[in-house]
Amino acid sequence: MGEAIVVTSGKGGVGKTTTTANLGTALALQGKKVCLIDTDIGLRNLDVILGLENRIIYDLVDVLEGRCKVHQALVKDKRFEDMLYLLPAAQTTDKNAVNPDQMRELVMGLKEQYDFVIIDCPAGIEQGYKNAVAGADRAIVVTTPEISAVRDADRIIGLLELEENIDPPKLIINRIRPHLMKAGEALDVNEITTHLSIDLLGIIADDESVISSSNRGEPIVMDPTNRAALGYRNIARRLLGESVPLMTMDKQNQGVFSKIKAIFSK
Amino acid sequence: MKNLVYIKGTKQGLVLQLDDQCAYADLLAELAAKVSDPALDGSAEVQVNLGFRFCTEAQQKEIVATIQTNTHLRVSKMMSDVITVEESNRRIQERQSETYVGIVRSGQIVKAEGDLVVVGDVNPNGKVVAGGNIYVLGRLKGQAHAGANGNREAVIAASWLEATHLMIHDALEIMTDELTVLSEQPEMECAYLHNNGHIIIDRLQELRYIRPEISTFKGGS
Ligand SMILES: Nc1ncnc2c1ncn2[C@@H]1O[C@H](COP(=O)(O)OP(=O)(O)OP(=O)(O)O)[C@@H](O)[C@H]1O
Ligand SMILES: [Mg+2]
Repeated sequence: MGEAIVVTSGKGGVGKTTTTANLGTALALQGKKVCLIDTDIGLRNLDVILGLENRIIYDLVDVLEGRCKVHQALVKDKRFEDMLYLLPAAQTTDKNAVNPDQMRELVMGLKEQYDFVIIDCPAGIEQGYKNAVAGADRAIVVTTPEISAVRDADRIIGLLELEENIDPPKLIINRIRPHLMKAGEALDVNEITTHLSIDLLGIIADDESVISSSNRGEPIVMDPTNRAALGYRNIARRLLGESVPLMTMDKQNQGVFSKIKAIFSK
Repeated sequence: MKNLVYIKGTKQGLVLQLDDQCAYADLLAELAAKVSDPALDGSAEVQVNLGFRFCTEAQQKEIVATIQTNTHLRVSKMMSDVITVEESNRRIQERQSETYVGIVRSGQIVKAEGDLVVVGDVNPNGKVVAGGNIYVLGRLKGQAHAGANGNREAVIAASWLEATHLMIHDALEIMTDELTVLSEQPEMECAYLHNNGHIIIDRLQELRYIRPEISTFKGGS
């Protein structure tokens, strides 16, 4: 029996979809069987980042409304043997076409066949959010070092803490630019983690090649030399229970080193 | 016949002591007769003491109206030796303390009828509301409203007081940058409502002088 992880944030555009694609790919590279679900109905783009857009035949709503079987809608990523699959979101229908009970049942079924089911949540706290968290066992909250993103992360963490079936959420801080932190113009990692008081799962550098690789349909994590890729690989290893020290973006950041070592026992 | 309405002068002013054993209708009739006595011609503020008689709010209004048919009189205060069970329960609740362990996050509201103790931070956009006092063992970075049911004596105390909004009873203080700069070290502080109607922030150790009644321990060694 696998586990389901929802990737959420509250605020839009902070990197949920990028995180879902890269963590899924990293886990598949580690030999885990992974199924990604895009729940951003009406605004799907997980398929684009994975380069699977042209192979979609059926979608999430088709499955839930019984127009096809789950396995017919799953798109296989041929680059990773039999390890990575995507259940795409519907592009045409609206969010209310899906309800949390249906999602719970779907995720439950998928957990029997996959080690990890990773659910990409839409921005906001409405119906789409409720659908995305319905079947999850764990939650990852993505934020960036901006006050508005941290506020929304706090709001989402509060909501996630009310969900009885979900473990305490863990944090990913995305788009870190060390020179801004050093200048005190962006919140630093310690500040954010203390403020939100949840465990830090990892940090990801802000890197232009994240954007270019997403545009090519190749998640950045496939490039082992890239620093953002290293961040995602480390997070994947932590999800698998390894204790991996926090990577240093810069000498300034060494303080958080000890912080992350203490956490992460799953 | 026994006097049902008895007027006495005290240091606080004129007090109308009303009999609390007779029928309400008789009391009202005698009150009407007494206040229309032409001897009462100077303007005066009076206090009314109901003794052990329980009067509903409507009856209290009726008594005030009856007295004020004499345009020289104005009722400044109603006193009574009895309260309803409801009122009594409310007072007990206001004396009680509730404890919340955890972080009050953005969008969350934690409410208590009496005092509220929060063990954890109150984050920006998070809100704590109490009928009594609020004590935060952590950083108060959001909003706090103490004395929400009308208690002007209520205070807000925090290990780290950097709230965006403070409210006591109906007074509101928005913590602008200016104020934050003034208390550059917002550690161990408390906020209370000054007689001038403004919320004042002071060091926590002043609390025992500002609101000595909060401490329920008497004496000590
Ligand atoms: N670490 C990073 N470095 C550089 N660019 C990034 C990084 N992470 C994400 N981005 C870029 O930020 C944009 C938004 O990312 P993404 O679509 O993953 O966010 P999202 O949270 O899923 O957004 P939405 O709320 O719209 O679903 C994309 O253009 C993406 O390429
Ligand atoms: Mg997205």
